[in-house]
Amino acid sequence: MAETNALQAREKQELQGETIRPGPVFRPEVDILEREDSYVIYADLPGVDDKSIDVRLDQGALTLDAQLATLPDTSWNPLHAEYRIGSYHREFRLSEGIDASGVSARMQNGVLELQLPKSSQHRPRTIPVEAG
Amino acid sequence: MAQFSLYRPWAGASWGGPADQLRQEVDAVLHRFGGGTTSSSSWRGVFPAVNLYEVADAYVLMAELPGIDHKDIHVSLERSTVTIEGERKIDYANQEGVSLHRRERQVGSFRRAFELPALIDADKVEAVHQNGVLMLRLPKSPEDQPRQISVQAS
Repeated sequence: MAETNALQAREKQELQGETIRPGPVFRPEVDILEREDSYVIYADLPGVDDKSIDVRLDQGALTLDAQLATLPDTSWNPLHAEYRIGSYHREFRLSEGIDASGVSARMQNGVLELQLPKSSQHRPRTIPVEAG
Repeated sequence: MAQFSLYRPWAGASWGGPADQLRQEVDAVLHRFGGGTTSSSSWRGVFPAVNLYEVADAYVLMAELPGIDHKDIHVSLERSTVTIEGERKIDYANQEGVSLHRRERQVGSFRRAFELPALIDADKVEAVHQNGVLMLRLPKSPEDQPRQISVQAS
């Protein structure tokens, strides 16, 4: 059997400070990875679907705002609560090497995948060597 | 209404130990028929965190499992004990040509069992994984539901 770790539950990180929305706002957990020609951001947003998320890119600032699409009915009687629910917010500052017009986003299973292509002058190039 | 609380004999013990990769833990309900809400302060960090609700004829258990395919989530039921187990995999972590600048999302396996306050009608359990949230609808067994007994005139 393959080695696996046991997942540990962590309390959601609630954003402090001024918010304009009612209810708690959480900071989603993300992975940021770099490939040869792009950066990719994955964000855990359980309960969010493609229509309840807003991704904004403005002068190098990338902002995620998301509301829950899957949530308990208000008529249900809560017996036991281990996690809190609310909306999500997180901001990133992008480096200059990103082609803002090529950014794309996709939601699947409560995870946002953001593809951020590098602008052409920041991609590695191979320079052909000619025989002299 | 009576108290509802969870009992965890092994909570907090041997976190992350190699022999503990699949935690076998039953959260037993000590008192039947819940009233008041237990707060998250009594909970000791076993994945996944769950919220439990009651409707007239069923319990609804919710757990946040983002990024896990529904095929990797296994739910089983024995009498009034429901078990959730599975694994979260992240395929890009070990790919070639990828460098990780930030790593907050966890990978690993999980297993958790809960004893519910009433017997469950196993044939009618519904499990849906939607937008990374698992929702289990667990109908109470007919023999555990309150019944109205009509009083007849003699």
